[in-house]
This record gives sequence, C-alpha cells and structure tokens, in this order.
Amino acid sequence: MSPSTLAKHVIDRHPDVSAKEPEGNRIELIVPAERVRDVVGMISELVPDALPESLFGVDLGNDRYEVMYFFWSHSNLMLCQLRVTLEGASPEVDSVWDIFPGMEWHERETHEMFGIGFKGNPDLRLLLLPDELDGKYPLRKSFKTDRSRLAESGLAETRPTSKESETSG
Amino acid sequence: MSGNILDEAVEVWFGPQHVSAHGWATKLTIVGDFIVECDPNAGYFHRSAEKCLEFRDFRQGALIMERLCMLEAFLAEYPYVKAVEKIAALEVPERAKVMRTIMMEASRIHSLQFWWGQFAAELGLFAMLLWPWVDREYFLDSFEELTGSRHAVSYNTPGGVKYDFTEKSVKMLLRALDRIEYRIPTFRDMILKSPTFKLRTRNVGTFTAEQGLKWGLSGPNIKACGIPMDLRKDDPDPDLAYNMCDWEVPTTQSEEHPGGSDAYDRMVQRFREIETSISIIRQLLPQVPEGPIVDPKARAKTNRLPAGEAYGRVEGTRGITTLWLKTADKAQTPYRAKIRGPCFSSYYSLKHLVPGSTFADFIVIFGSLDPYPGWWDR
Repeated sequence: MSPSTLAKHVIDRHPDVSAKEPEGNRIELIVPAERVRDVVGMISELVPDALPESLFGVDLGNDRYEVMYFFWSHSNLMLCQLRVTLEGASPEVDSVWDIFPGMEWHERETHEMFGIGFKGNPDLRLLLLPDELDGKYPLRKSFKTDRSRLAESGLAETRPTSKESETSG
Repeated sequence: MSGNILDEAVEVWFGPQHVSAHGWATKLTIVGDFIVECDPNAGYFHRSAEKCLEFRDFRQGALIMERLCMLEAFLAEYPYVKAVEKIAALEVPERAKVMRTIMMEASRIHSLQFWWGQFAAELGLFAMLLWPWVDREYFLDSFEELTGSRHAVSYNTPGGVKYDFTEKSVKMLLRALDRIEYRIPTFRDMILKSPTFKLRTRNVGTFTAEQGLKWGLSGPNIKACGIPMDLRKDDPDPDLAYNMCDWEVPTTQSEEHPGGSDAYDRMVQRFREIETSISIIRQLLPQVPEGPIVDPKARAKTNRLPAGEAYGRVEGTRGITTLWLKTADKAQTPYRAKIRGPCFSSYYSLKHLVPGSTFADFIVIFGSLDPYPGWWDR
C-alpha cells in the first residue's frame, strides 16, 4: 500500500480528515480530535505491520496543543504521521493504547509533560518526573525553568552573548 | 491455605541498587518463584534532555544527544544533526557522508561489544565480560585518536563532520577491526556453543514479530524474529553512504520459534550485526573520496534557522532512533525537540513479556533486549 492509497482509504471513510501532499514515503494526515481512534484503528487494519514509532505533544501557545502520532511500516516502507490539534487549559483526546499497546507509555509521558488527558488510558501515573516536582507540565512553554528565571533574578548570564564576545576580542 | 493464589503474592523491587540494574527499578509481583506482574519504573536517569534542547543552539544540541547513549555516540547525535540539516538546507560533502557512515558503524560494533560483556556478566559468565571489553578498548583508542575523546566524541555536526581522518586514526580503526574479526570465532565458541548459556537463554523471553511490532520494538529485537526491518535499507538516507557498499540486512530465522525469537536468537542476531558492520566499514574505507569535510556555509546557516519541521531518523544499535524538530522563524534554539529512544519501547515491553516467567529469568529477558536507561529516561 502506498502512502497516497492509505490517505485515500482513510478520507473516503472519514471525509473530515485531510491529507498533506505525500513527500516520498511520508504521508501526513490532519485528524480532528474525535476521529483519532477511528483513524488509528484503520491504520492497524490496513497496515498489519504498523510500528507505533512515536507520540508526543507540542505546545503552540495560547492553550493550543498538537499531538503527533508516527507509524512506520516496514513492508510498505511508509511513514504515516497524524496531526491532532487540541484546545483548552486541560485538553483531552481518546487513548489508542488498546489498539497499539506501544503507545501506552508515550501517552503517559505526554500526559505528565503537557497535561494532555488520554481518555481510556488506565495508567496515567507519572513516568519520568519525580513526585515532588515543583510546578506542573514541564514541557509547556509557560513552565518556568531555572534558565528562563535568570532574567527575573537579575543575575548575569553565565555565557557572554555573541555581541559581547565580538567586541572583547 | 487460602483459596486465592494471589493472596500469597509478594512485591519485590528489582533495583535501583541491584548490580544488574544500572539505574532503573522494576516492581515485580511474585508468587513462589513466578512473576505474575511486572511494573517497570522509569525516571531515575531523567535529565529533561528535551527541555534542555530548547535552550541550546543548533550546534550545541548534538552534544546533549550523544550524552543520552555514550556507547553509540556517533549514532545518537545523528538524528538531531540530520533534522537541523534538513531545515537549514545544508549540503553534506561526499567525503563527510562516507566518514560519517564508517564511524557510525564503528560505534555500533563498540556498543554491541559492550552489551556482550554486560549480558554475559548478568548470566554469570565473567570471562565474557572482560574479553570483549578489552577489544572494545581498541575502538575507544581509535575514537580518541580521531576526536580527542573516548566517549563524548561530538563528531557529527550540521553540514558534515568535525574531524578529518588521519593516517593514524584509520590505522587504529583497522587494528580494532582486525582484532574483533579474529576474536569472533572464539566468542562464538564461548557463548553460542556453551551449554550453560543455551540452558539459560533458550525458550526464555519468547515473543512473535507481531507482538513485538505492536509493542514498538525495533532493531535487532525484531530482526531476530526474521523480519529484515532496518532503516539503513528501508529509508535510505541521502546523507549517508550505505548505498556505496554491498550488504544484506542480517536476520535470524529461529528453528525453535518460527516467526519469533527468544533470548538465544537475539544473541545470535547481534553476532550477525557485528559481522555486517565490519563488512560495511571494510568496503567503505578504500572509497573515502577527497574533498572538504563540512559544508562551508554550515556555520552561517545554523545561527538562525527558518521556521520548519523535520524528522531525523537513524537505525541505531538498539533500533529506530529519531528526533522530531520544530523551529520558529529566525530562532536561535529549537521550539520543540522530541527524542524517540529505541529502549523506551523495549523497557515498556517487559510489562507484557515478563509475567509468567521465573524470577531468575527476569534479568535474562531484560538483558536480551539490550536496554540502555538513557534512551528511555532522556
């Protein structure tokens, strides 16, 4: 199955899904949040050897988030990428862990790092973070790290900026 | 005697102090000698590498990447470098392409040798711990001669490589290859023909290719099930030189488990991986073309990148290693970088693979997947 055939099958059944122009062996589908389970289910049906490669969140600012899903198929030499846009202070999307068990921990990590809920995932405990972490959702842009707090503290930067180093020699 | 066997279950923490647990801990629920539930715990090694990358510029990022897995440093830094090259539209010189590929394969051999020793020691074969680690030193010496550092090599850079081959560094690399080639038959005898090793690993940690793919396993763990899934062939990278040599993806067809693999098959597979890598390096070394080793515009073009998204992928020693990079326009640092380490999935798969086996087999199953905590904790 070629990337464009997969896109055609998915769009035929779910017309609210759209696809970007395939780039070589890569195809990107833009999926509405409520369609995620249907589309991932179709991928698992149509591409029996699909490997759940990755799942992660992106903070776009102003309470908008993207969740990206990557599937790799060896027999079709195809990389399929799903892009889901979510909104709100506590965004939520359906879990796909029962279709691809390999996504279970990726969802758990995205939940602790971005505060994105995965409906149906039974185990959303912290995975990498310690229980005593101060503040929540470290990969959101609003999270204050030591480095982003430097300006507040009034301390000098540890490294000179490129301009300073140019003038000093 | 109670009716429910689970009433007698005991919870045991395997690690983080256990000798075989190099900084990870798994909660096992045990009834008698059998594990009924396995709950792997990650996070002991977490250094928020993805957040750190958001504060480092595009030439510094690769240094964080290689620290995630020092054993395969040349491979670990490549996905980041590749993603930056894509967004910055850099052209890698031919010479750098071949040199990269050679050093990445050398790094793969080195990492597999380390794993041989570690896995054998976990099974109690301590001679096999020390012997491959002696041979590993020859590779480390050649890395040191080339880059000045044994582990944190920082060799790949956006647009090419940092250090050129010298006559001495090539000679040292060849010496390391000669040494490992000479020793492989000995190791085969020591490990694959050893009755102790066979008893310990046959029919332990068995899974089928379908199961493994659903859990997200890749690399030698899937190739040991007979599926030639390898990004070096499947998703050929124009900035690497795998098409310049003649090689086949090594696979293992298990006689005991058709379409699947056990811990023994995964050891056989890793022997084949090393032999393939040696053959690739030997074919590429005479083909290194003359020319520059880095795109002359690389420095100017990587100060600030245009807005874009790129996905860098490489077949690492342990499986598919990727980095997804998103940049904002004219930014000096990435907007978001997501690392996919192959061992994230191997560690997760213990949850399904371990229940039902005995306590003593736990470390065999775990070790046979070639785990490295840096890849799941990041």
